[in-house]
Amino acid sequence: MFEATELPLPPAPASKRRRRRRGSDESFPESLRVEPLVQGDASLGKLDDHVRNLSEAKPPRSWYVALAITSLVGLIGVTAVGYMVYEGIGTMGNNVPVVWGFLIINFVFWVGIGHAGTLISVILYLFRQRWRNAISRTAEAVTVFAFVCAMMFPAVHVGRPWLPHWLFAYPNERRLWVNFRSPLIWDVCAVVTYFSVSVLFWYLGLIPDFASLRSRVKSKVKRAVFGFMSLGWVGNARQWLHYEKAYLLLAGLTTTLALSVHSIVSMDFASSMVPGWHMTIFPPYFVVGAAFSGFAGVVLVFAFVRTAMKLENYITMRHMDLLNRTVLFLSCVMTYAYLMEGFTAWFSSDSFNRYIFANYVFGDQWWAGSLTIFFNCVLPQLLWFPKFRRSVPVMVLVSAGVTLGMWLERYTIIVLSLHRDYLPSSWGTYLPTPIDFAILLGSVGIFLTLLLLFLRKMPIIATWEVKADIVHYQTHPSGPMEAEHA
Amino acid sequence: MLEPLFGVLALFPSADALLKAIPQVKERGFTRLEAYTPYPVHGIDEALDLPKSKLGILVFILASLGAICAFLFEWWTSTVSYPLLTAGKAYNGWQAWVPVMLEGTILVGTFTAALGMLFVFNRLPFFGNPMLRSKAVDEITRDKFALVIRPGDGGLDTSAAIAALRAAGGQAIEVVPAPHYRRAGLAWWAKVTAGIGAACLVAGYGTAWAIRTFPTTKPMVEMENQPRLDAQAPDTFFASGRGMQLPPVGTVPRAFMPVLATNPDQGGKALVDPLPVTARVLERGRQQFDIHCAVCHDKLGTGKPWLDSTYEAQPTDLQSSTIRDASDGYLYWVISKGFASMPAYAADISPNDRWAIIRYVRALERSQDAPARDVK
Ligand code: HEC
Repeated sequence: MFEATELPLPPAPASKRRRRRRGSDESFPESLRVEPLVQGDASLGKLDDHVRNLSEAKPPRSWYVALAITSLVGLIGVTAVGYMVYEGIGTMGNNVPVVWGFLIINFVFWVGIGHAGTLISVILYLFRQRWRNAISRTAEAVTVFAFVCAMMFPAVHVGRPWLPHWLFAYPNERRLWVNFRSPLIWDVCAVVTYFSVSVLFWYLGLIPDFASLRSRVKSKVKRAVFGFMSLGWVGNARQWLHYEKAYLLLAGLTTTLALSVHSIVSMDFASSMVPGWHMTIFPPYFVVGAAFSGFAGVVLVFAFVRTAMKLENYITMRHMDLLNRTVLFLSCVMTYAYLMEGFTAWFSSDSFNRYIFANYVFGDQWWAGSLTIFFNCVLPQLLWFPKFRRSVPVMVLVSAGVTLGMWLERYTIIVLSLHRDYLPSSWGTYLPTPIDFAILLGSVGIFLTLLLLFLRKMPIIATWEVKADIVHYQTHPSGPMEAEHA
Repeated sequence: MLEPLFGVLALFPSADALLKAIPQVKERGFTRLEAYTPYPVHGIDEALDLPKSKLGILVFILASLGAICAFLFEWWTSTVSYPLLTAGKAYNGWQAWVPVMLEGTILVGTFTAALGMLFVFNRLPFFGNPMLRSKAVDEITRDKFALVIRPGDGGLDTSAAIAALRAAGGQAIEVVPAPHYRRAGLAWWAKVTAGIGAACLVAGYGTAWAIRTFPTTKPMVEMENQPRLDAQAPDTFFASGRGMQLPPVGTVPRAFMPVLATNPDQGGKALVDPLPVTARVLERGRQQFDIHCAVCHDKLGTGKPWLDSTYEAQPTDLQSSTIRDASDGYLYWVISKGFASMPAYAADISPNDRWAIIRYVRALERSQDAPARDVK
């Protein structure tokens, strides 16, 4: 058995040189040691039991209460959408000149949150970051559910939500095709591809875990379902060989995808002539923003899940620390992007461009731009302090702030740019209605409902990945070759 | 008779124990080995001499095909099937097709990687796998590592296999029988097909019934019934009581210069045909004449209306010498202002079209009385 506190400490290092080769554990300087990513009394079987238990045991009452609340909130949103569809678009606040209101803000917001899973499970996989293993499954779930919410919005926003299939290029009796020169159709392709690939990737990772649940759950129905979902997986070495290859290929391809999706979403804006949108910085700036809000969302989820589901041994404070460092890093990149945007506006010498950016922070809705900067640039600076990176209240505060800040950023971009365009005679204001808020709230409800169901019904940790970690830390307790994958 | 055999299985407590056992078992002459592990164990592919996965090649080929298909599809729809001019860009501006090509590549690539791995390389789903019926399967997916000796061409000496595994440190040794398969017969396929067919029928009729029983509510009612003023509708908002307002006095609609001459003779002197002499003008004139004039003056301008006897007026014969001798400006004045029972067309036909019509009338006249040199 393996006890983090009773690790045999290696003798003092002979040389100060950092050695990173396997087997050099003994001479690894103590100051450079990192906490193992698996703590406590862990074993393959225990991990398995824990994860199975979570999806098999009767959930606590608090879970039911939470589920009731979130699904009620989700239902309110669905009702609001229903009312809007029945009564008309006018029930929402968007109108000329602000024709993109809450629906598009929410869409961009949720797509952003949906970047967490892919970035964590795919890009960190390519970089051989071990700490992704324990959190990847739930992060992927966040992605999938965020996309469910995100895709709802354009479908409603098209105006005639009962004709969403018109978004796609299919042979039809009208003998029309979509306009492939429009960023909006790129967006459709990107989002649909991203969603289906996320689901595929998620399912692929789940297959070995379904196989391990198949053997051990007691309920016959669950056994049949898990058995079917595992496709008869038995963990043959040859199967693993192809499996890992597929995983790697998917990771590589999905990285391209993850970077392209929000770039394409940003082109919906950047390729128009609206001041404040028409900027070449938009694609990278949107991608970073998406990653930023995604990581913040994941921190928020794990801050609760880790203790509520007693996962402290697998999702350690070190995981949270690393996530928070990423949030901090991305916050700095965001700050740079904001500054660069402002600089571009100033450098353009275009009075409208300059005006629009000044208007973000000093205009009639100064709070939108100012709060964006506060939540996204100022507040995360707390995370420079190691103590705060490991404090649950602080990380909840920061990541909730970032989530809100990123929503406000999209509000600033969309509403504040549109309501002051090049033609002062067509300037206007935007006032969201209760229906707008109900739909936004409803999407949060739907997201949380799906997440709650996932947390108690599915294997929430990729056990086959963490099992390799457990063995790794048992054989190399000091963890100097962390980055090496198995 | 020997029971059909899948293999002899032994469990090992760790990946290292398994990796150590493989060469030992191999030494004893067993070559068809299979390993089962709860997570991918690295180094096992070399120990078992597993060939490298060829999945990458498959993905590369199909992903490239995905890109090509996306390109061809975009090219065909945008330039051949439905050429749509937007922002003055060329129909075949391929740059704009790149994003969708990228998505197409990735979509096909990822699905090939996942489904190719599952269905082609790993032959899943495989619920008949004999390993699934072994006692060890529950351990394998949890925390144990299994080595299976499969029978070679000459069958398998079970006891020797057991001994070999035991010597290598294997525990819980088990002889896994091959399952008795029955290939899916015609009856099975018939049943499945019938089942799917029945489900489709039920779903189809169910939907049709539901639509007929519950008449669809019209969504977005407010979009159809919004308050608006039709062109000729009365309205109380303005003092005039009209919905549509008259243009302010003295305004001139664009491209509709009013004719100021008060009688046709005066007009005949003042108005001059501004159009160039081209076939296009004549063509336009014919089109407009056929639309506006032919109904009363006949296609040849003979003044025999197509209307029945309830139309009592007698349109002028445009082939007559009076009209032939009248100046173009005279005709222009008549078309613009009307003449006795001949209606005015100033509001309906643009000035240029009026001149084009006159050109055509002249052509008609000449066609009915052509000099010999016109005919060859
Ligand atoms: C509703 C039927 C009708 C249509 C349509 C019509 N006309 Fe006439 N037009 C008449 C009648 C009737 C007269 C005879 C007026 C009279 O002498 O009382 C006439 C007379 C004329 C005259 C002779 C005026 C004169 O000085 O005697 C000309 C030229 C003429 N039309 C040209 C046209 C042209 C060109 C068009 C097409 C733009 C046209 N008309 C369309 C009914 C029509």
